[in-house]
Amino acid sequence: MALEAKNLYFKYPKGKKAVLSDFSASFLPGELAALTGANGCGKTTLTKILLGILQPQQGLVLLDGRNIAELTLAEVGRSVGYVMQNPAQQLFCTSVEKEMDYGLLNLGLSEEEREKRINYYLEYFQLSRHRKSFPFHLSLGEQQRLLLAAVLAMKPRYLILDEPTAYLDVYRRRLLGEHLQKIRTELVCGIIVVSHDRDFVGEYCQREVVMPGAGMVENHVDSPQRRAL
Amino acid sequence: MMGINAAVEVRNLDFTYEEGPQILHRVSFSLPQGSLTAVIGLSGCGKSTLCHCLCGLIPQALGGELSGEILLQGHDISGRPLAQLAQTIGLVMQNPDLQLVTTTVEDELAFAPENLCLSPAEIARRIERVLAWLNFEHLRLASPHDLSGGQKRLLAIGAVLTLEPQILVLDEPMSHLDQQGQKLVKDALLALLKEGCTIIMVEHDWQIATFADNWLVMIDGRVSYFGPPADILQDKDFLLQHNLL
Repeated sequence: MALEAKNLYFKYPKGKKAVLSDFSASFLPGELAALTGANGCGKTTLTKILLGILQPQQGLVLLDGRNIAELTLAEVGRSVGYVMQNPAQQLFCTSVEKEMDYGLLNLGLSEEEREKRINYYLEYFQLSRHRKSFPFHLSLGEQQRLLLAAVLAMKPRYLILDEPTAYLDVYRRRLLGEHLQKIRTELVCGIIVVSHDRDFVGEYCQREVVMPGAGMVENHVDSPQRRAL
Repeated sequence: MMGINAAVEVRNLDFTYEEGPQILHRVSFSLPQGSLTAVIGLSGCGKSTLCHCLCGLIPQALGGELSGEILLQGHDISGRPLAQLAQTIGLVMQNPDLQLVTTTVEDELAFAPENLCLSPAEIARRIERVLAWLNFEHLRLASPHDLSGGQKRLLAIGAVLTLEPQILVLDEPMSHLDQQGQKLVKDALLALLKEGCTIIMVEHDWQIATFADNWLVMIDGRVSYFGPPADILQDKDFLLQHNLL
């Protein structure tokens, strides 16, 4: 059981160089892994391939042993939750409450269960007072917390968070880190965090996958974290 | 009272979004010419709103109810057109996608100085300087929309730096940047400071902002501290009480 990238090769149609070449990595349930590397090295591209949004020219992605090329995006989405780098690209409902409910409704959960999860996560990320607000009236930090809350409430088997702390203050960063540790152990969720935030990576991640520099095609480096958890 | 050589003077600023809660409460401060001030605070405390007020976007473009005074280089900004204000104060927004409008990196950097009707030679000088600052020479013909999130962030900063504004406001400029990108931005800001630019930088990560001359700490829309970072960093109780550490 794992989310695995196997020998990926990917080049954008207009790109001069491959973003990924012979790239392989495994992300395990119950593990919080960091995906790091310089700006432009292909971290976000890799996350989109892991989700099936982009298709590699060579190689494959296995989701618990199944090739995601044979799955629909909706099928992948039921197992892999994704929070994009830019919150504005992912919000589309007319209230915070509806944004929270959207994924839960699509999972076919009962009203009672949806309400329970919505209340819990709005409270946890300190968004309860914004329950009826229009998401685009929130600050960018609040929008990021809303997306994290909405995706975490779906309790996916794997989570991919692209720069989840970019707009979070130190206090909310700590709340996020502690919650990720909780779902990693209690729900055996496999979590991939794309980040430049060295403190967050050092504090909460068990393993770091370092991507090669922009335009380079050497394979990545796996390194244990400096602080054992 | 007007600060001596104040580049930015804010007096008793109150702001409420339409049909929303009051965001800013009696905000007052004075920033000396050629200084760097970091605005620190939890998300949702009014940092971005304050930036939008300083640049005139509030109330001119974003609406809401604003009272109090803002003076830039000694002149009250109320009633002054945004295009006129933009010649004095530049804003790098939190979300670079809202700010990139052209089809190549070079065009993006040229866009603002061209609109100031500067000479081609001066525009070229500014573009080359910013390309070098950002280590972007190899990307000059790339499409902004093909860049990574961090590269877009650097470009959005660069596009405002070519304006060479007297006052520069940056809303979380370091987010999405790797350590090298953060150093490039920091070095560019330090170079502008030497030229007398007054810089206001919103930052939720106080560790990034220790090189600022002053911190303006905001809590729930109010200024709770204004002064050197070293002083407030000694007051651990205050920072812990407000979840800033």
